[in-house]
Amino acid sequence: MKNLGKLALNIMTVGAILLVLLWTLYPLMWIFLSSLKPAGAQFQDPPVWFNFEPTLDNYREFFGNSEFISAILNSLLITIVSVLFSLILGTPTAYSLARFKYRHDDKMLIFVLLSRMTPPIVLVMPLFLLARALGIIDTYLVLIIMGGLLSVPFVIWMMRGFFADLPIELEEAAMIDGCDRKNVLVRVLLPLVAPGLAATAVLCSLLVWNQFLFVLVLGGSSTRTLPVLVKMFVTEQSVNWGVMSAAGIITVLPLIIFGLLAQKYLVKGLTMGGVKE
Amino acid sequence: MPGLAYLGIVFAIPLIYAIGITFFDWNLLRPDLGIKFVGLKNYIDILTEVQTWNTIGRTLYFVIGAVGIELILGTAIALLLNRDFPGTDIVSSVVLAPFMMAPIVVGFVWRFLLNRTFGPLVHLFSSLGLDFLTSPPIFANGDLVIPAIITMDVWQFTPFVVLVVLAGLKSLSTQYYEAAEVDGASRWQMFWYITLPLLKPTLLVAAVIRTLTALRIFDTIMVTTQGGPGYSSEVLSFFAYRLGFESYEMGSAGTVGIIILTLALIFTLFYIKIVGVESE
Repeated sequence: MKNLGKLALNIMTVGAILLVLLWTLYPLMWIFLSSLKPAGAQFQDPPVWFNFEPTLDNYREFFGNSEFISAILNSLLITIVSVLFSLILGTPTAYSLARFKYRHDDKMLIFVLLSRMTPPIVLVMPLFLLARALGIIDTYLVLIIMGGLLSVPFVIWMMRGFFADLPIELEEAAMIDGCDRKNVLVRVLLPLVAPGLAATAVLCSLLVWNQFLFVLVLGGSSTRTLPVLVKMFVTEQSVNWGVMSAAGIITVLPLIIFGLLAQKYLVKGLTMGGVKE
Repeated sequence: MPGLAYLGIVFAIPLIYAIGITFFDWNLLRPDLGIKFVGLKNYIDILTEVQTWNTIGRTLYFVIGAVGIELILGTAIALLLNRDFPGTDIVSSVVLAPFMMAPIVVGFVWRFLLNRTFGPLVHLFSSLGLDFLTSPPIFANGDLVIPAIITMDVWQFTPFVVLVVLAGLKSLSTQYYEAAEVDGASRWQMFWYITLPLLKPTLLVAAVIRTLTALRIFDTIMVTTQGGPGYSSEVLSFFAYRLGFESYEMGSAGTVGIIILTLALIFTLFYIKIVGVESE
């Protein structure tokens, strides 16, 4: 009797897991398969899932279009530069906040938290007016500054946690051996927090790469990134569903892979340390 | 502290500017009118407008609906994947995928699925006889457009709740369960009297963070409905965007921004209260 109950429970578990997989994968499979369909097969009525000749034509068309290529390059450039820039700015700050007592360090942390929690729509208007006044609309500069605005709070918060986890004796030993504070950070501590640094970089890339509103308002034709490009082509009257499916896959695939690599650190970063593991 | 100095420039200055412009009448399309100080007029105008309150109501409908479903569904999926069962690790990774996607692409995918002539979901609905879901098309149906946007949001962000709750579950000590088992508690009792109370702080964190991000929703609405039909899916962030970058009324747009900021601040303060900001 007990075994029968266990079997029923296992069958229910398998059923529930399959349901969850179906719910998650249905949209993903549809866009992936559509990106492999020959021209016109996207419009078939009723829709076909598997019964077609797979082709890479949509990807070929995507990579043959200079506008699309420049969107990929813009996305890569803006993401890589702003993430590196944010790590360089945020890591020393995170170290100071983790190691030294300041009179107002709780206020500093709240300030960092606030900068992360403020909705982008609130900031995008003044940023637009400021960027317009400075004449830097549609430049890489303004979009990299924005990437920094998104990433720096994240770097400070996450790296502060990683530094706080390291034993202080390590630094003391290195300093007794004649290492100064800067060398301790660079030679002793950074190698130890390298996995955390890598995870932080991945999560920041996710934020910057997927960002839409800032690029829509502050960018322009010469700095267009993949999300803005997808939006432009998708809201047109005649959508090329095959090529746009390929564009969608190209936009999300690298980040899904990256994100899964950093899965272990996701919770810590995304809840700003709110969940103790 | 280079990081704080940077945020002082690119965050604090725009924030003060954002508050400042709400006291001015400033239309970018009419430079001849100049920038006039109007005191609290923008706030009075915006807050006495029926449309603003409808938009606030619609935003709360979306936020509460989406976050509520995500919490329940996310907890259920996390409990499922926390079971000692072969393959749950891989499934946990697969389930996370939508969360990493650019919301713009998520909107595109759902627009495709719900396309009135060749969308597979539309065909599924008609073959199941669910005609109210197909005509008029969901994104053009004023009554169903918010539920549809909630569905997209649930698809993309339930994984976040799963991730957080799974981490919370892994940190629970097994001794409570062993004791409860000895006392002959049923599965349901164990969930209700042990797991849920112990998970409460984790669930609160997930709820607050999801609420804060749901308040920002913009990208998916931009690709699917652009606030339509009529204003049926216009949420606060879209309202602010339209005032700012279609009418170029900087003062009014800024004022709507401050309403969103106020809502976000309430939730942030709540977050600081429950989690605490400790200096280590």
